[in-house]
Amino acid sequence: MTSTRPSAALQAPADTRRIGRIRSETISTAAIFVLTIILILASRFVSPALGSWDQVDTIITLASFLIVVAFGQGLVILVGGLDLSIASMITLGGVLSTTWNGSFGSEWALIPAVLVICACIGALNAVGVIWLNIPPFIMTMAMGIIVASAALGYTSGTPRGAAPDAFLALMKGSIGSLSAVLIFVLVFVLLAWTLQSATAFGRRLYAVGANREAARIAGIATWRPIMVAYALSAACAGFAGMMLVGYANGATLRMGDSYLLPSIASVVIGGSSILGGRGSFAGSVGGAILLTTLGTVIAALGMQQGWRTVIEGAIIVGALLLLREDLIVKLRSAR
Amino acid sequence: MSANLNAARVTAPGSNLAVVMRRVLTDGAGVVAILYVVLFALYALWDRSALTASGVTNLSNNAAPLALAAAGESLVVISKGFDLSVSGVVSLSNVLMATYPLEGPGGALVSLMICLAVGGAIGAINGVLVAILRLQSIAATLGTMIMCQGLALVIMDAPGGTVADWVSYTLTDVIFGVIPISGLIVLAVIALWLVFRRTDTCIALFAVGADETAASLSGISVVRARVTAFVGAGLLYGLAGFMLSAQTATGNPTAGTPFLMLTFAAVALGGVSLTGGRGSLVGAVIGAATLMLLQKVLFSGGVSSFYTGIFQGAVMVLAIVFGSLILRLASTGARA
Amino acid sequence: MTIFRRLFTTTCVAAGALAVAFTVGAGSASADEPKKFKIFLSLSYSGNAWQSEAANIVKALAETPPYNKLVDLKEVISGTDPQAQIAAYESMIDAKADGIVSFPISSTALNRTVKRGCEKGVLFFMYDATVTEPCAYNVSYITAGFGENTAQALVNALNGNGKIFLSRGVPGNSVDKRHTDGAMHIFKKYPGIQVVAEYYSYWDDRTTQQETAKALAAHPDVDGIWAQAGEYGAIQALRDKGTRLVPMTGENSNGFRLALANPEAQKDGLKGVSSGSPPATAGYAFKLMMEILTKKRDLKPMNIQYPLPWVPADQVKLCKGDTFEDGCNTFPEGKVPSSFVTEVFNPVFLPELSLKSALDGAPTPGKTIQPLPAEVVKAPNEPGINCQKCEPPADLYKLTKVQPTVKP
Repeated sequence: MTSTRPSAALQAPADTRRIGRIRSETISTAAIFVLTIILILASRFVSPALGSWDQVDTIITLASFLIVVAFGQGLVILVGGLDLSIASMITLGGVLSTTWNGSFGSEWALIPAVLVICACIGALNAVGVIWLNIPPFIMTMAMGIIVASAALGYTSGTPRGAAPDAFLALMKGSIGSLSAVLIFVLVFVLLAWTLQSATAFGRRLYAVGANREAARIAGIATWRPIMVAYALSAACAGFAGMMLVGYANGATLRMGDSYLLPSIASVVIGGSSILGGRGSFAGSVGGAILLTTLGTVIAALGMQQGWRTVIEGAIIVGALLLLREDLIVKLRSAR
Repeated sequence: MSANLNAARVTAPGSNLAVVMRRVLTDGAGVVAILYVVLFALYALWDRSALTASGVTNLSNNAAPLALAAAGESLVVISKGFDLSVSGVVSLSNVLMATYPLEGPGGALVSLMICLAVGGAIGAINGVLVAILRLQSIAATLGTMIMCQGLALVIMDAPGGTVADWVSYTLTDVIFGVIPISGLIVLAVIALWLVFRRTDTCIALFAVGADETAASLSGISVVRARVTAFVGAGLLYGLAGFMLSAQTATGNPTAGTPFLMLTFAAVALGGVSLTGGRGSLVGAVIGAATLMLLQKVLFSGGVSSFYTGIFQGAVMVLAIVFGSLILRLASTGARA
Repeated sequence: MTIFRRLFTTTCVAAGALAVAFTVGAGSASADEPKKFKIFLSLSYSGNAWQSEAANIVKALAETPPYNKLVDLKEVISGTDPQAQIAAYESMIDAKADGIVSFPISSTALNRTVKRGCEKGVLFFMYDATVTEPCAYNVSYITAGFGENTAQALVNALNGNGKIFLSRGVPGNSVDKRHTDGAMHIFKKYPGIQVVAEYYSYWDDRTTQQETAKALAAHPDVDGIWAQAGEYGAIQALRDKGTRLVPMTGENSNGFRLALANPEAQKDGLKGVSSGSPPATAGYAFKLMMEILTKKRDLKPMNIQYPLPWVPADQVKLCKGDTFEDGCNTFPEGKVPSSFVTEVFNPVFLPELSLKSALDGAPTPGKTIQPLPAEVVKAPNEPGINCQKCEPPADLYKLTKVQPTVKP
């Protein structure tokens, strides 16, 4: 999305106002986690077994897929785009890794190969967005439809094969007394956050997302960070697909569908602006965990599905209202 | 309409025809209309029944709900927003129509009022959340969509119910033997749009979508423009649910789910810019019609079932590329 | 005026390119051979094992002699949008189809189009899912009481006491509702049975695994699970949590059946029954339709009941070859994925099929189409499922496969 309007320069930059000595963005990220913890503790009223470490472990395992995908989606949203192809990329990663498992030689060749293929498709998205001026919404949606259809045709409707051992170990195994997934999530979050918020590459992403013209004038070859963002998004989705396959020991052709809207929701609830240029991965992680927790607690409510869905929607709107940055600022300054 | 249009009026010499052609082409709606004509030609080539009255009626009945939903969505997108609640409102109105069927033309009118009221109410809620409480539209409407979806499930937990006969028989019928009534309803909405287009509120919509800060600085009430957009969109979603009920004649609590992605695809295909400030409701309507026609073209073209997706995606991309190509050609011509 | 010439040329080139692309991708031209029946296979969902197997066996049957000379079969996948399937049906009717064998996405939304097709002489055969339009033939196990029979089996296994999970299908779907209503009818009779968690698994193994994991977090002391399709995911979720398994009833994935027969799993507490939806209904529906079209059978539109599969743990038998012979009903581990739906074969109705037919849609060499048994079982009326203005029988939830061993 190009911003060629004269007042684009006036577009609000990332909120770096400091309240006391803490950035308000950090406060809103922290608020998400606080909200999640409140939700977990409150769920004890729903069932005594909830509100426990066991539940947290389950939540992190189930949220791990969303966290990985939300990173990629967050990068694309950061540069002002949107990636609707991640559902199909998740499916592609899962399908390729199971179908080629065994006939590709070593697993350690298979996994990078699948990731590279996904990244190339993501790069194709970027080509369409940057040079053919196709709106990211349409480009990624069309690519998603094409990839899903190709996967359907390639497997003739029945994906076959077992999950790669590496992912089986990741999703089912444990290191010491902690589950392997938990450790993986911690490491991934750390690395991803560093990449986005503490490297020059990350800074370029923010610059391009905030104001592409200004970034170009400042000497950044804007196409490079954008292409890397889309490629990483597709690769993250492919990786999440392989994680899913390791979790369930099999692939299905629509397995990515239920992660599309939640990936966007996690990023937006986490404080990133859909227009780009603002937000941090820590917020997206908080959003992903909040959504997964919400799903878990809602599922434990013993009422009709319709009302459960209404409550889920109401809590999301409520969380959005509470997490507004200007509300937090108002509260702090009203002290 | 785009700035190019004004440039064309001022600088281009040549006949009125050239001006009109240029205007048609620089407006996103014109491009998608050409695509529609091309697809229809292919369809008629491969399927003789395309040109019969019943063929046209089927096309119209099939496309009308999506066309109305896309029309509503275009209002929000023009004012720079995303409205995900389309699927929730459609499901809700469909379920209400099937659970409380009201007979006869009077009953149909009351049902219509109910659908519009529901859509308008949801639109108003969205407007408050986005314009006044300053939530991001994509997130706020996601929340309202989920709530509407839940309400639909509460009212009807499995497909069933019957829509009133008058609605499902008359509204899918033809008058004068050839003109489908569903088509007339869509045309009526387009006519309303063309009238609305000239009002200050509509210009405010475009201004807010193009540049909110500049619009507010020039005295436009951003809140009022956004709320108008959401409420208008909600009304149209309610109408879309009404027409969907006429076509399927029954209720389904998840009736609106397919509409989510299709609506945005239709809007984007129709030349409405997803960053706001540009485009036309007419384009969104034609975009919706094109998407529905594409299914039939692929069927009659004998495309293998596994690979229809590839063709659909390719057509979407090609249409946009083609459209921006034409845009560039036309605006280069305008400066000549 | 160069712009218009350029424009005109571009339009023509684009249109020409599209036309060429479509013709190339269109496959063989339909040179009408006399007397070939035009049959369409209309799917809505696609991409899971059940749907693929059902479609594959129809394709295999259409290529088995003598049908390979009689049938021109085309598959159309519409997706989950009812309007897309409506449009597809209309196109098929306009293309003068002789018969449409279909998995309908909605039990009611397609009725108007089906009626129009019937008036034009098209035969509609719906498999597994049903429509309430009277002129269509419904071939399904839905009325055979999956919900209530499996619920009773679970109650028997638990001796009438315990906390259970309900793993359902898709919210807002009439099949899920019918199964769950039947099950709840039984569960409600036993005050000792407590439904502590009810979740929607979308008939998918992985979603079942995730939702069961969430339910286990809230209720780790569950005693039994009643599941619709995707039941193998529940076993995986239990395994993820620890080594304890519980009595379970589910549908008929190969992984579930193998687990039921596995002595280690049984030691860990697994027992139960494998029942559920048979993809074989697709083949049965197709053969019935062909027998009507080739005038070998005269059958007016009716709702036909397919027998409910019922395999308790002690009746799981591994197959040695590629077909269900000698009463075997499960394939050895590794031969098929655990999500493979086993009730795709039926030695009585569909002796022409083998594993290759289910996996690849290929006909079995050497087999020819065998006639179906003359008798068809009429399905009871169930409003909203297979009829509109009708009354269900008084014994709607009667038990046919198992009797209660515990007093309510």
